[in-house]
Amino acid sequence: MRRLRLFPKGYGFTVLGIAVGMAGLVALGAMGERISRFIEGGDRFVLGQISVAGEGMGMGAGFTAGGLLPAARIAEIARVPGVAVVQPQVMLPISTSTSHFLTVTQELVMGVDPAAPPANRHYRALALRSGRALAAGDRRVAVVGTDFAASRKLAVGATLPIGGLEFTVVGILDKTLTAPDRFAMLPLEDARDLWLRRDPLLFRVFGSGGLARTDLNSGAAVGWQEGVDPDELARRIQATVPGVNVTIPGELSRLLRTSTAFFSALLVGIGALGLVIGGLSLANTVTAAVFERIRDFGVKRALGATDAQLLREVLGEALGVSLWGVGLGVLLALAIGTAVDWRTLRDGQQLFYFSPRLLTFAFVFAVLLGGLAAAYATLRIARLSPAEAIRRGA
Amino acid sequence: MVIRATGLTKVYQGIDGAPPVRVLDGVDLEARPGQVVAVIGESGSGKSTLLNLLGLLEPADAGEIWFDGERVSHLGRRAQCRVRGTRIGYVFQAFLLIGSLTALDNVLLAARYVGRDRGEAEREALALMERMGVAHRRGHYPAQLSGGEQQRVAFCRAVLNAPPLVLADEPTGNVDDVHARVILAELRAQARERGAVVILVTHRAEAAAEADASLRLSAGRLVP
Repeated sequence: MRRLRLFPKGYGFTVLGIAVGMAGLVALGAMGERISRFIEGGDRFVLGQISVAGEGMGMGAGFTAGGLLPAARIAEIARVPGVAVVQPQVMLPISTSTSHFLTVTQELVMGVDPAAPPANRHYRALALRSGRALAAGDRRVAVVGTDFAASRKLAVGATLPIGGLEFTVVGILDKTLTAPDRFAMLPLEDARDLWLRRDPLLFRVFGSGGLARTDLNSGAAVGWQEGVDPDELARRIQATVPGVNVTIPGELSRLLRTSTAFFSALLVGIGALGLVIGGLSLANTVTAAVFERIRDFGVKRALGATDAQLLREVLGEALGVSLWGVGLGVLLALAIGTAVDWRTLRDGQQLFYFSPRLLTFAFVFAVLLGGLAAAYATLRIARLSPAEAIRRGA
Repeated sequence: MVIRATGLTKVYQGIDGAPPVRVLDGVDLEARPGQVVAVIGESGSGKSTLLNLLGLLEPADAGEIWFDGERVSHLGRRAQCRVRGTRIGYVFQAFLLIGSLTALDNVLLAARYVGRDRGEAEREALALMERMGVAHRRGHYPAQLSGGEQQRVAFCRAVLNAPPLVLADEPTGNVDDVHARVILAELRAQARERGAVVILVTHRAEAAAEADASLRLSAGRLVP
């Protein structure tokens, strides 16, 4: 029985070489994962609800951008066969001065009625990192996304000023890596107050008695009954309820994917670059390490080692070296990612996401490629006679 | 074990149009158990190549090698590995210890590939190292050993499996006179005490003089 060593002696530089390559692969992969999660999250959101806004244009933002959606329209939508729930919403940009810069990472106010059942199938309840969710009867409180909180150094109990009103933060959402990370979720009535304060025209119309408070909705999220095709239901709402703009979930998803095609391509590029850098570094390092020991192989074969015994030995060493290399590489990438994110999170941005699937892939990739490279080098050496191997290694 | 070689020939192909070099040309050899055979000759006369062929470290271009009644030169790769591990011990001039293994592990390497029980092999290895005066260096790596110590460790590795054929390629070439005498005495002891055939390439006149037989090589041929 061979004695096991914690670290494969004589492979220090090999491990270091692999670690550097794998750190590059994992760091690039983590950036890719971050983009991927953002796109996937958006896709999951739009496929989980039918978003409806009032006809025309208004101050609403996000998925409910459009004109006012009065209570009468919401009631009509609720009567359309197949509709399970309609959740009135007010979505506004946090900062009106930058509202025209519609970016994928826009900070939004999302006013929802805490007493109403959630409409989005994929986001029934958002997990909380700390504090509590909005509750029925809440006023002047907010639950904020994790990036939103980080960029403003908000904790539960902090005061959050928005549009001249002050809110007490009662909860901070868990990281979703998608849009809600930059949301401030308010009780619907508070969001309506905010809207009225920000939109003088709306305020005048409201003050003249032309509108009730329940009419102040920038849109609504519609949920469907089990077995109902959401795209068909969306078309039915559009056809039967006048004065509304309905987004078709399937079409919106396709639109989202088209608009994020650049990011998807970037993702593929990042992944390919990472694989080439990490893969070449690992394969080259392991192969060089095996060839470096060509004399030892010659000696071992002189002592009676068969090809299979040598291969087993080398694969065992390659496994150890690869695991150490990828382990250190992951730690290095985590250190770099954490340091960079520590800096960028102050602006509410997270650049790296070290997902379990990424880390699993890195380990499997390293072990397989390390094994293949070691096997290739060993088989090349095994073709030499022991004397030739000793001569070449001298 | 009787070692018999007939017509051993080795030709190294020339590189970049250089003519091929006939390093060994039809060498015959026979050695009986307990015999020490010295192979002498000038540098480049084919001594090391002869030992490589006898040790199955590289194939001959012509000729045969027989261990008793078995023609080992024509065995398959796997069978030759078994023969190398169980019936041949090789002492190299440059020691060729594995740098990442301790002295003891280097010696035990000989047992690893022939499937010997590690405990038993370790007891024998330590006894051998004790006899050769290197047991106290068992935990040290080759780089931490002197040349004489390295050669004694290499000798222990070569004879751990008590091979019936011990091939020593200038084993005293890189050690001082004191250690050279120790190594040569131990090689003779292998022949005398357990009947091994020892074939020794040497430049030392006293080693050749003390051998039971001497073969002189010149330009790849045996000369009187």
